[in-house]
Amino acid sequence: MAEAIIDQAATPVADEHHEGHYTSLGLSNMKLAMWLFLGSEVLLFGALISTYLLSKTRFLTELVAGNPEVVAGISNDENAELVNEMITKGSVEPLFDIPFTSLSSFILLMSSLTMVLAHKSVTEGNYKNLRIWLSTTMLLGATFMAGQVYEFTTFYREGLTYDGSLLGTAFYTLTGFHGAHVTGGLIMLGSLIYLSFKGRMQKDRAETVELVGLYWHFVDIVWVLIFTIVYLIH
Amino acid sequence: MAIVEQEPLALPAGEPSRSARPLGVFSRPRNTTGLKNWLTSVDHKKIGIMYGVASLFFLLWGGVPALLIRLQLARPNQGLLSGDAYNQIFTMHGTVMVFLVVMPMGAAFANYLLPLQIGARDVAFPRINAFSFWVFLAGGIMLNTSWFLGGGPDGGWFNYAPNNGIAYSPGIGIDFWNVALMIAGFGSLTGAVNLITTVLNMRAPGMTWMRLPVFTWMTLVTQFLLLFAIPVLTVAQLLLLFDRRFDGNFFNVAQGADPLLWQHLFWIFGHPEVYLMILPAFGIVSEVIPAFARKPIFGYPFMVFSGIAIGFMGWGVWAHHMFVSGIGPLSVTAFAVATMFIAVPTGVKVLNWMATLWGGKLILNTAMLFSIGLVTQFTLGGLSGVSHAIAPADTQQTDTYYIVAHFHYVLFGGALFGFYSGLYFWWPKAFGYKLNEKIGKWNFWTMVLGFNLTFGPMHILGLQGMPRRMQTYDTSQGFNTWNMWATIGSFILAFATLSILYNALVSYLGWRRAGRPNPGPDPWDARSLEWSIQSPTPEHNFDVTPTVTSLDDWWYHKYQEDENGVLRRVASSKELAQPGNGEGVHLPAPSYWPIIVAFSLPIIGYGLIFSLWLCIPGVFLLLAAMYGWSLEPADDLDQDHHSEPEPELAQTHG
Amino acid sequence: MSTESMAVGDHSTTHDDDHEHHPTAKTYWLTFLALVILTALEVAWSYLGLSGVALVLPLLIMMVIKFAIVAGVFMHLYTDLNILNGHWFTVAFGIAIGLAVSVYVVVFAAFQFNI
Repeated sequence: MAEAIIDQAATPVADEHHEGHYTSLGLSNMKLAMWLFLGSEVLLFGALISTYLLSKTRFLTELVAGNPEVVAGISNDENAELVNEMITKGSVEPLFDIPFTSLSSFILLMSSLTMVLAHKSVTEGNYKNLRIWLSTTMLLGATFMAGQVYEFTTFYREGLTYDGSLLGTAFYTLTGFHGAHVTGGLIMLGSLIYLSFKGRMQKDRAETVELVGLYWHFVDIVWVLIFTIVYLIH
Repeated sequence: MAIVEQEPLALPAGEPSRSARPLGVFSRPRNTTGLKNWLTSVDHKKIGIMYGVASLFFLLWGGVPALLIRLQLARPNQGLLSGDAYNQIFTMHGTVMVFLVVMPMGAAFANYLLPLQIGARDVAFPRINAFSFWVFLAGGIMLNTSWFLGGGPDGGWFNYAPNNGIAYSPGIGIDFWNVALMIAGFGSLTGAVNLITTVLNMRAPGMTWMRLPVFTWMTLVTQFLLLFAIPVLTVAQLLLLFDRRFDGNFFNVAQGADPLLWQHLFWIFGHPEVYLMILPAFGIVSEVIPAFARKPIFGYPFMVFSGIAIGFMGWGVWAHHMFVSGIGPLSVTAFAVATMFIAVPTGVKVLNWMATLWGGKLILNTAMLFSIGLVTQFTLGGLSGVSHAIAPADTQQTDTYYIVAHFHYVLFGGALFGFYSGLYFWWPKAFGYKLNEKIGKWNFWTMVLGFNLTFGPMHILGLQGMPRRMQTYDTSQGFNTWNMWATIGSFILAFATLSILYNALVSYLGWRRAGRPNPGPDPWDARSLEWSIQSPTPEHNFDVTPTVTSLDDWWYHKYQEDENGVLRRVASSKELAQPGNGEGVHLPAPSYWPIIVAFSLPIIGYGLIFSLWLCIPGVFLLLAAMYGWSLEPADDLDQDHHSEPEPELAQTHG
Repeated sequence: MSTESMAVGDHSTTHDDDHEHHPTAKTYWLTFLALVILTALEVAWSYLGLSGVALVLPLLIMMVIKFAIVAGVFMHLYTDLNILNGHWFTVAFGIAIGLAVSVYVVVFAAFQFNI
């Protein structure tokens, strides 16, 4: 395998030999396929978000009505105050830390910016900048994930367990699923950086970067929805 | 996760270097025949045939439980099957027939025919195509291993909550149902992305939308339904998985959950599913009837737009499965009206088929008979279906044998008759010999007899109030006679269903004895592009990409109007057909990776059911295989294909 | 509808030059700025102590705008739609997604208002 890597240094910058394949729609197959895949992901997250909304509503109704099993499900030794606040407000807001989540949203939005800048760099043939922007994107994404882990830990301590309550199940499933998508994106970004160091991610493969970008922005968009629907409209 | 595949990532960008072994890539499979070739093939025709073989196998496999059900119900108060066994058997019958027979049978025809009908060399992503098949097979096999690993699922193919919860079904059967169908669903999803991209982007020059054959159109609609419906089922199954394996509360009533959510999610998937099972058969019939009525299809644009309309409206009728679940009066009204409306585009199709037959010079061979069988029997099933739009009547019929009769009329009398028609029609194109007509007609008439004898009486039983999914009944209920008839019919039907295999064998032997005569490129004098190439289809499909100038382009090469405006034959199919010379055509190379990626998924699946530790090697194998896949060039670089003249690359990305 | 009006398969181009129409770095930065401002507005709005429609509607509107901005600029939807040039497929795909999502809204409404 190693000898394959050696001769890459001598590879000239791609010339325009790359012939565009004929396609009926004028959009490349890969890009079309990615858009179709994302279209199907819309339905996936749509179902998860509606499930969350429904579960949250049912949870709050039962909680406010004083259903003992539901109250017991969210209570632990130390959170009586929090549970009371949730009951009086009829809302899950006391659980959330909006400034913290706003910061993670900002970080994820920022990673979308660095992702398009990475794509821009590769189309311009600036491979150093490509690697810088890809690494920044990956770093921001990792920071977001770290924030999510921190948030999950905090919520768990506050009494929101996965198996204790309907709210917990729905919340962790929805945000966890988003987190899994971010993790998948991080793996793709890491692979891109690796390939770029090996000289395999050049101008004529800008579309590969764009495709990973499409996926990454989509994950960002899903967070835009989750942030508003789950956190702000509590 | 999307598999990013494009140009060989393992190679330095720009001109591929032939001297070095690409990074992290095995030597490629080279076999052109034998088992290894089938396991690694990325040829859409071979994959289509494998889909067909697998779904025929599952048809027999899923037929055995059906016969057991009929034996159990043949007479009152029988104890052949225990209640528990009966639950598992009817669940597996439904699940296998829906997910492992009708859906892949549609995929078989789509895979084989779609590239041929649009004038392409292969699908857009040949390796993903192979992956779709293998992952379907992996899921199917995994589902059926549940029989040996602790019992089959027992919640019905719809698996209503909370009955599917751990409290009411403590075994692992439902987990198998859940995980295996999720895995098979991946295959449908990637297949949908692949086939849609193919139709949208790889049509031959001049193959505009309104020149696409109706089969291609119906398959396109089907794939869109899959694309959007599969994730909904996947989410429902994920919720159930989390509930059952990780103590979630999605359907836990004690924690305030509303289990009706399952029904909504399941039927949002389930009703489009119903249409995506029947639309490929509609497409097949729309090819067969014009060929043997010797007329163009009547009202082509109406056929296309009614198919699209069914695709859209199929999303607005799901709650008619839930009229007795306590949904509000406004919902019932709205969904009842929508259900009546969706009968309109379906009726348009039936009328167009009849108008195509009207005044045609009918050739009543087996393929045509099966198509006519679909039109009549599907219409019966459609009529009992639209009767569900009358919500009060539906309330009476829900969970009775009337429903069983209805959906067997549309899925067996409709979809399966259509698929049999397609098998008889395209058999010479795929295998190079025709099926025997005499056995074929026996096949058809015994099937009609057996089918109607089995499912016709169920209408009456249902209206008399015989409930579905009940293990037995009492003599005093008065269900004896019709149940006996249905059981007799079911054995005739089983015999008829099998006889296509007997036919294939007899026809093959006869053909071999006769010295393997070639049926010619166009044995039926048909209309679409797949008949303009040799039979069996050459590996590269088209020598030259055809240029299309009209609907039924191939037909109008053979027949042209004379000065009196009468169609006259101007050339024979043999003269016009492409000779099958594949020189200079370069095809995507076979690959080990699709099957490896596909079979890494059940490892994760078994891990989810038995021990999460097993997931770790599964995930590693999956990741490693995906890397191998994306680093592997779509073309085999060691194979020198720079023959003269400059090779014409198949328009595929891998 | 006549056959001719649907005969739109002639948007046959090669796609190798579609990168040239992508926005400039400045556009990307401005887009990001707009997203940040909208997010800040959203958070501020949620702190006003409103409830019901007054809380939800502006938040949803801002969310949709953010959605459109990311999809349009970052995901190059505006330029790619130009390539497709109003092809019926993009319209149908959009309608299909919209319809599919509205299905969930119907489910939610059915539960929420017990209709």
